[in-house]
Amino acid sequence: MEEIRIENLTKSFDGFIAVNDVSFTIKTGELFSFLGPSGCGKTTLLRMIAGFETPLTGRIMLGNQDITQLPPYKRQVNTIFQNYSLFPHMTVYENVAFALRIKKVPHAEIDSRVKEMLQLVKMEDQAAKYPNTISGGQKQRVAIARALINKPKVLLLDEPLAALDLKLRQHMLIELMNIHDAVGITFIYVTHDQSEAMSISDRAAVMNHGNIIQSGPPDDIYERPASIFSAYFIGETNLIPAEVTSIEEEYVDLKCNAGDGEFFEIDSTFHFRPEVGQKLTVSLRPEKIAISRTKPRAQEDINVIKGIIEDILYLGSHTQYIVKVGNLKFRVFSQHKRVYFDDKALDWEEPVWLFWHDTDSWLIDEVTPMGMDVGEVNVFERPFQTSRGVKRLLKSE
Amino acid sequence: MIHSHHKHKASILELKQSQKRNLQSWLLSAPSLIWLTIFFSIPYLIVIIYSLLLPDIYEVKFQFTLSAYREILSGTYFKPFFLAFRLALMTTLLCLLLGYPVAYLIARSSEKWKNFLLVLIIIPFWTNFIIRIFSWRIFLSSGGVMNEALIALNLVSNPVEIIRTDWAVIIVMVYVYLPYMILPLYSAIEKLDFTLLNAAMDLGANERKAFFKVTLPLSREGIFAGSILVFIPALGAYIIPQLMGNQNALYIGQVITYKIKNIPRNWPVASALSLVMLVIIAVILLTAYSLYQKRQIRKTDEIR
Repeated sequence: MEEIRIENLTKSFDGFIAVNDVSFTIKTGELFSFLGPSGCGKTTLLRMIAGFETPLTGRIMLGNQDITQLPPYKRQVNTIFQNYSLFPHMTVYENVAFALRIKKVPHAEIDSRVKEMLQLVKMEDQAAKYPNTISGGQKQRVAIARALINKPKVLLLDEPLAALDLKLRQHMLIELMNIHDAVGITFIYVTHDQSEAMSISDRAAVMNHGNIIQSGPPDDIYERPASIFSAYFIGETNLIPAEVTSIEEEYVDLKCNAGDGEFFEIDSTFHFRPEVGQKLTVSLRPEKIAISRTKPRAQEDINVIKGIIEDILYLGSHTQYIVKVGNLKFRVFSQHKRVYFDDKALDWEEPVWLFWHDTDSWLIDEVTPMGMDVGEVNVFERPFQTSRGVKRLLKSE
Repeated sequence: MIHSHHKHKASILELKQSQKRNLQSWLLSAPSLIWLTIFFSIPYLIVIIYSLLLPDIYEVKFQFTLSAYREILSGTYFKPFFLAFRLALMTTLLCLLLGYPVAYLIARSSEKWKNFLLVLIIIPFWTNFIIRIFSWRIFLSSGGVMNEALIALNLVSNPVEIIRTDWAVIIVMVYVYLPYMILPLYSAIEKLDFTLLNAAMDLGANERKAFFKVTLPLSREGIFAGSILVFIPALGAYIIPQLMGNQNALYIGQVITYKIKNIPRNWPVASALSLVMLVIIAVILLTAYSLYQKRQIRKTDEIR
């Protein structure tokens, strides 16, 4: 019953609205992520839950308790800080024991609980070391043990893996999930890294400009993005400007603008009812597209278009093709399975066929942002790494 | 075999490298080492020799004796030593108490304010030391600004006689030495990572506990440096007690001066007193330093 409930939370700094009337509920024991570009308000939200910022309006409920005005030291919420914030003048042991010593827990109990915690994070043999003598991954473990020892109801994690290198990050991610399973409390995880959020969370919320754009299980956000923003902040996608030409029972016919007066037609299933003549955007994930130099045999529910390979990026597990269709650039991921290609590999400037199932084109009820070159809109070079790209996009909307 | 041969060769090269580095650092240190030898070691050698001679009206008789030390051990100079210690201790404590909040404030200010406030701390140094002390004398005197203000505000009916008391000495001592406390404290607090305070509060410490468990221990270096910078010179204070203090209860710095200034002069006792001071200061410094170092080691042992 210790769910955390956020009601109409707003926070501004010098007139800049960091968090804008946000409401949501996180269930007990859930691993919930806030995902968004820097400056989207996710850290401010976390700091309000921790008690480091006081919201302008709104309430934070932990179970039946209103904790909005409680100072951080009175909340049953603990935080893993981005740079770990371990106390440099204390050993690993003392860092972990800190919360219990503040509470004046008897010595023997502190000792047994600290040892238990250190065991959980596999740091029992490093107890006597000082933080500046251990590695980044080990610091991370100590920070986890230190935050969990006081048996919080909620653990907040503020970009906990940002300072680690890729291999260690993947390893710690699994470790974090195991710890989450072991302690069974609610984890709230803040990150700008969509792959982290996707792999770890039960549910995630995509944030931008202080608002929650979409929330739900990660696969749901990935497969069924509700907006252009979540479509391309989570994973990579092709955004195709389209106009509805007719509506059938199970699919719609779309006329897609390839620029320079060129058009092509595709089908798509739909999850909202568009109108004939409506302009909207189709989101098509690069891995859903098949690529071949031979034309696939005609099938009713398969979309087939023709393009020219502009670029080939070999990425080990798969190859990324940039295929030009008119002025549009399609990004296509093709896994290296010999099954598809028994003949010679595709080459630059080669005409190819792109095809995909019509359930894989996903309609977004937004007009594709204009004012930019059509090709630019279509293939985003991971622009959401910085929030400037987002602003540019939204302004032109 | 080949492997060990290479290893051997590498270690010889390493040795040569480190020898070269050593020579360089000796050469670079030479000017200051020579300076210190001439102007520190030699004078102290003279002081040691003088302390072992017999006094004469103006100079010394070149005859070996321990009479100066015997005179000190008899307890004649206990009170000046005691007064000096008390003064140094109180000055250090007051500077620490008054200086810490100021240093903290400066360290947490924005970059622009920081520089401005630091300049304010340093400005008093632009005025001559003696002039500043005389200003205090005028300010604190019975007809001075302080007393006129107190009378005008009806807080007292007669002027408060503060000049020529230990209070006057302490007030001016704290005034003079405060910057020496604030600056090292500032540089220690400035290095502090303030997100650690968030971490402490997150883990259940209120503001007060977070200060005593995190901020204070992490500014230890500054407290140590500042205290030494204030305590040591305060111990030998001469001018301030001379100008502000009660002339019937002399501090050790004044006593040493009188032994040389007043005729018959007593160079041996003055020298011996200086040496005793030197030894005391050295002992205090070494003790403080080893305590400072040991804390870390003891803490590590506790866990094992």
